[in-house]
Amino acid sequence: MTETSTERPVAGAPPRDDILLDVRNLKTYFRVMDGVVPAVDGVNFSLGKGHTLGIVGESGSGKSVTALTVMRLLDIPPAEIGEDSEAWFDGRDLLKLPESDMRRIRGNDIAMIFQEPLTSLNPVFTVGDQIAEQVELHMKVKAREARDRAVEMLRLVGIPSPERRAKQYPHELSGGMRQRVMIGMALSCEPKLLIADEPTTALDVTVQAQILELLKAIQERTGAALILITHDLGVVAEMVDNVIVMYAGQVVEQGTVDQVLLEPRMPYTMGLIESIPTVEKRGGRLSAISGVVPSPFHLPPHCRFEPRCPYRWETCRTVTPELYNAGDGRVARCHLHLVEATARREAAIAQHRQNMAMGRRFTGAPDRLGDR
Amino acid sequence: MAQNIESQAGVVATPEIIDPDPTKAEDYEVGLKSLNQWQLAWRKFRKHRLALIGLGIITVLILVAIIGPVLMPFSFTDIPTPDQIVQMGRSPFCAVYDAAARNCTSFALVHPMGETGGLQRDVLLLVVNGARTSLLIGFSSMAIGVFIGTIVGAIAGFVGGIVDNALMRLVDIMLSLPILFVILVASKFLGNGTVSMVIVIFGLLSWMGVSRLVRSLFLSIREREFVEAATAVGVSDRRIIFRHILPNAFSPIVVAASLIIAANIISEAFVSFLGFGVDPTSPTWGNILSGGLQFIALGNWWWPLFPGLAIIITVLAVNFVGDGLRDAFDPRSRA
Amino acid sequence: MTKFVIRRAIQAIPVLFGITIVVYGILLAAPGGPEAKFANNPRMTQEAKDKFIKAWGLDQPIPIQYCRWMGLCNPETEGTMLGSLPTPAAFIGPSGLPNFLPTVMSGATNGLLHGDLGRSINSGEPVVDRIARAALPTFILAGIALVVWLSIAITMGVYAAIHRYSLFDNAATVFSYVGFAMPTFWLGIMLIFIFSGPGLNILPAGGMTETRLSPPFGSDQYWAYFGQHPVQALTDIGKHLILPVITLVVVNIAGDSRFVRASMLEALGQDFVRTAKAKGLPARVVNFKHALRNALLPVITNIGLEIPFLFTGAIVTETIFSWPGIGKLTIDATREFDYPILMGVLLVTSVLVVFANLLADIAYGYVDPRIKY
Repeated sequence: MTETSTERPVAGAPPRDDILLDVRNLKTYFRVMDGVVPAVDGVNFSLGKGHTLGIVGESGSGKSVTALTVMRLLDIPPAEIGEDSEAWFDGRDLLKLPESDMRRIRGNDIAMIFQEPLTSLNPVFTVGDQIAEQVELHMKVKAREARDRAVEMLRLVGIPSPERRAKQYPHELSGGMRQRVMIGMALSCEPKLLIADEPTTALDVTVQAQILELLKAIQERTGAALILITHDLGVVAEMVDNVIVMYAGQVVEQGTVDQVLLEPRMPYTMGLIESIPTVEKRGGRLSAISGVVPSPFHLPPHCRFEPRCPYRWETCRTVTPELYNAGDGRVARCHLHLVEATARREAAIAQHRQNMAMGRRFTGAPDRLGDR
Repeated sequence: MAQNIESQAGVVATPEIIDPDPTKAEDYEVGLKSLNQWQLAWRKFRKHRLALIGLGIITVLILVAIIGPVLMPFSFTDIPTPDQIVQMGRSPFCAVYDAAARNCTSFALVHPMGETGGLQRDVLLLVVNGARTSLLIGFSSMAIGVFIGTIVGAIAGFVGGIVDNALMRLVDIMLSLPILFVILVASKFLGNGTVSMVIVIFGLLSWMGVSRLVRSLFLSIREREFVEAATAVGVSDRRIIFRHILPNAFSPIVVAASLIIAANIISEAFVSFLGFGVDPTSPTWGNILSGGLQFIALGNWWWPLFPGLAIIITVLAVNFVGDGLRDAFDPRSRA
Repeated sequence: MTKFVIRRAIQAIPVLFGITIVVYGILLAAPGGPEAKFANNPRMTQEAKDKFIKAWGLDQPIPIQYCRWMGLCNPETEGTMLGSLPTPAAFIGPSGLPNFLPTVMSGATNGLLHGDLGRSINSGEPVVDRIARAALPTFILAGIALVVWLSIAITMGVYAAIHRYSLFDNAATVFSYVGFAMPTFWLGIMLIFIFSGPGLNILPAGGMTETRLSPPFGSDQYWAYFGQHPVQALTDIGKHLILPVITLVVVNIAGDSRFVRASMLEALGQDFVRTAKAKGLPARVVNFKHALRNALLPVITNIGLEIPFLFTGAIVTETIFSWPGIGKLTIDATREFDYPILMGVLLVTSVLVVFANLLADIAYGYVDPRIKY
């Protein structure tokens, strides 16, 4: 259900009815002392009702800022949102809504789950109160009913003896339990869209699986659409239909989860996938993409991945890549998809297949990927 | 970040694929050249406008304090005669004051800060002379306090155990005492009005904060890997303290020191103002203020005003520099 | 909780004990010792001098003096051991039980432990009474100033944090820097000059009451007068309060508003504030419920630590405005070498600090659910 950039509706007009969220040309800058930093630079995507989308990228790639911009949770200033950016949700452009209307959408129609469940919950209020507060606000019910609803939500997310837990403070719960509370809170007002920003990064591996399962089960049961932001390709593989890969504030590849994970068409995505340690690769080196994410102050002028790319050539330094059609509805921001680069593309894909098959390193120094 | 690929990879890239160029990748990194702690701190300090202004003010004040007494055309120890006591001084704008009519008959900016009653001194000259003593007391007592505090804190933090406990209880006790009060009592009972005695008293009573700070730094730094590493390879305790721990403790100490200077300049002024500190015959800002108070009923507003402003400006400058240093040494802030 | 309080109270004992030693040490360090004050006073009779020396045990070795001053030793028991230490018998009170026990048990009335801080050298009044009398004016001044400055500082700090880098915030920053650098006594002098000087002359320059209208504050006659003309008396005190309160408020707001601002800014930057916004809560609820509640936690501790120093922290203000409180008592006692009073004030303040620390910890545990004792 994810649309490619080539078939977008007219700017300023709402999208089709079955599209829940339609983000167009989203640009977010941060004005800091030394200048302006583009954190999100022209991102387009859309998400159908009840569908799921993964946004993948290293830390600093702009994936969280994208979500926070859509939720209008960034402080303006220092943040600035591009004038022609649009984020259509349920027939309305969120970026143009008055703050009071936006408030009615937050927590009610769009709910968000954050990475660090301990710091994301207020330490001085009980978890029950924190859920009830939101229910009372959006569902216009009495305090008593809101409390009951909070307990019900805690039960829904699989917290044992929810009546007792509702009266506890966040520090009295375990990490997994806290994230369950966050999920319960997010779902308490039956949102149409759930944005989960690295929901399992701060958790133990065993707990991660439980939380993901819970998230998936609840998403299927309630029919809410889900945007899952993560740097973990494994999580994406299990959870979503479509994937967007972000690099340095731009979408660099987009397609279904199978397309992106099994047949990546952008060297950056190839590198990400090759760097996943697997049992088959045991004994070899951990692979990684050489170099680091460029500083937003010194972005390469054309292809932003070019300095780290093993498949680059002169064009990459002289021409700015667009999102090219990479076949079967997927897109990739890479000059390999120019017609004249067919030979190079075939070579790169072959090299990727070989690397995957041999468990070889992508290139460069052993360096761990992303936020971990 | 990007290291030499050939040496580490052990994998030869296929011919048609360009090998990534590590130096190229580095072009796009943040671009901070490797600077040592001091160069980095100075770069950041330089960008702190208020701190630079503060540093400028302090430099000027120190110069003034050094050359000031040379300009002094009279002795501060002269005693006014009774008929002079009631004599009104001249305001900054007044050239001729008619004592009988009690008003100014001719206006001109003869004395930029006015002239005192009594002995009719130029307030500017008094303030300039006060700078020497007040700054001397502020800086010297800070040096004593920081010295004692660093040693006590280092011993407590490094030795630990009973010694640490005893020293920290001593600090608790000292901090429970109202320190201005102790300074007052000590100045009155032990001081003999000399500047050196005042410096010693202030120094002996301003080390507690620094010692707590240094101790906590020692405790936290001692646990850090590089000290463990130094211990593991058999570096001596003394070398660990002086080469590894103290340089890391330097920046918070400097910031604390700036606060001590500010506090001691204000306290000294108050203690001297009450007549318990430096002998009233030598000019400190507190003494000058004290003299002004006797004439306040006459309307000599300029007499207490300007020494007070001198204190405020000095303390502001010291605080600005302290702020700048804190930011400069803070690894979380970037130039 | 009870266990924590008891543990903390026990921990405080060595500190309190140390304080008495330091205080006693200051007294002894003074040139000439306690009798220096009247050594050359012709009005003091030999009998009075002897009484003082006896009361302070100044003819005894220092450890015994201290022991008696503390109330550990019975002053009636003579004799030393090892040259200067008190004999075991000295620790037995008049009733035969240890001397340090409360008066009803031990029969002893001497020393600190029995609430006897000695008598003022100048007036002969018991130190406890003198301090108690001075405490009321200090309490009035400091209490009012505290309420005013905390309300202003918290409002200012919170507003400045929410509207960071706004005109108000910048103005508050400048004000704090200047206020922080301003000597309290100088501000007092300037206020007196402006409002009580020859120009305006609308407010009294010092004192607590208009001495021409009413008897001295605290005396029996004053309270009689107060009963007859309460409105007049209160207005009078109110007028005298204005300048000292302004002085204390201005100087203390500077530091505290910065503290509140920093604390609030930190709270506003926390993840849970973002969560609260993401829940759709209005800014008012986000700021004043979620952020403020957390921002005030460190502020509470800070207030707890500030309160005892008000007791003497007002030294400067009270001196400038001749306010008849603890601060002025201190300065006068210092001027006149009135040791017993000085030691009394020092002790009372230090003990207050120790207890305020304890109270601040308890309060913190009460408002912050994460802390369990």
